[in-house]
Amino acid sequence: MVSLYAEKLLNIIANDSLEDRLVCMFKKYGVSGYTILTARGEGSSGHFSDMSGFDANILVKVVLPESRVQVILESIERKIKKGHHLTVYLSNVEVITPEKFEKTLS
Amino acid sequence: MSLSSLLLPAVLFFALGVIARLIKSDLKFPPDLAKVLSIYLLMAIGLHGGYELAKADMAIAFQSIIWALILGFTLPIVGYLALVATRKVNPLDAAAISAHYGSVSAGTFLTAIAYLDNLSVEYETYPLIMLAVMESPAIVVGLILAAKARQSIASRDADASAAVTTTGSGEKSNFKEMLRDAFTNGSVVVLIGSMIIGAIAEPSGMEKLKPFIDEIFMGVLCLFLFDMGMVAARRIGDFKQVGIVLAAFGVVMPLFGGAVGVYVGASMLDFSVGGATLVGVLGASASYIAVPPAMRLAVPEANPSFYLTLSLGITFPFNVIVGIPLYHAMAEAIVP
Repeated sequence: MVSLYAEKLLNIIANDSLEDRLVCMFKKYGVSGYTILTARGEGSSGHFSDMSGFDANILVKVVLPESRVQVILESIERKIKKGHHLTVYLSNVEVITPEKFEKTLS
Repeated sequence: MSLSSLLLPAVLFFALGVIARLIKSDLKFPPDLAKVLSIYLLMAIGLHGGYELAKADMAIAFQSIIWALILGFTLPIVGYLALVATRKVNPLDAAAISAHYGSVSAGTFLTAIAYLDNLSVEYETYPLIMLAVMESPAIVVGLILAAKARQSIASRDADASAAVTTTGSGEKSNFKEMLRDAFTNGSVVVLIGSMIIGAIAEPSGMEKLKPFIDEIFMGVLCLFLFDMGMVAARRIGDFKQVGIVLAAFGVVMPLFGGAVGVYVGASMLDFSVGGATLVGVLGASASYIAVPPAMRLAVPEANPSFYLTLSLGITFPFNVIVGIPLYHAMAEAIVP
């Protein structure tokens, strides 16, 4: 049977203008990688991204060890306090290759 | 103002886009199509304009740049003061909205060119340099106004110190980054780059590009406005949220900016009716490509629904349908 290892999955929904800032933050606080998808929807900030390229949202997914979660969440909280509209949620996931998530991006 | 001005294919396609959305048609353009088309439109108009400008008078070109800077820096300040005076928006929203009105919309400018071409009205090429110059100054003014607004909110509201004391060194480096972004923004690079290529390229090479620059231009503009009609109609739904006073601002501000622009074009720069109309359109139009992401980053406290609905849902359709013929009529009235 294949062994499973616990990791955290961080999901962030943000405006695409924030993409560079988020990537910069990931590199600063050490993540092994990230995936960005174009997203659309409607929510508390009252507007939805229109997919015309003028106001698009992104969904960012990062798998990381629990030990690295806090420092990233603190950085995200600072962004939210500045007024950025970010939707953030964390979940428990299981992976089969934990070593993949130990290395950090340079 | 004649009805024929509304029967321009490009304007009719804009209306078709709006209608398609209103009748809930399943018509969908690929994401980013409008952005791709606007890159083509800026390239084509830049190449064309650069080619013409190589033969132009540098003194007038320089004067045009100075006036473009004056308009770009003062219009957002006027807009900001007007918005704050309405007491309907907070100063940070006012800063973000007014930055859009100091900057320009290339889509509106190109529609104006189609309008003038259709009426066989001649125009100078200088407003094209002004289009490139006016993209960025308003972003800078928006940043400064927002910084001022934050200071006044902080001094008024001592409790909020944790949330708003963002004047540390981090903020300064952000400001620098924002300035760099304002002047290296995609539209500016495409437009100025294409103008330089148009100016220095061999005329024989430019001749080969003619189908790309001239012949398909109006067709692409129709497609662009078709898509933009759908984008604008989607924003009209947010109209209620914006409120009647702000919606009125979306019409009054372009009228004011348009009148100032026509005056500058006609009296300060001695342009023809066509040239003055184009400067009027520059003064009247509100950005929806360059400024919204800049404001998202620099003034995250401001509500994006306000500025996007105003610039895309109200001012852009107003200018395309009513504004351009109106600024043309103004120019006809004051150009000797």
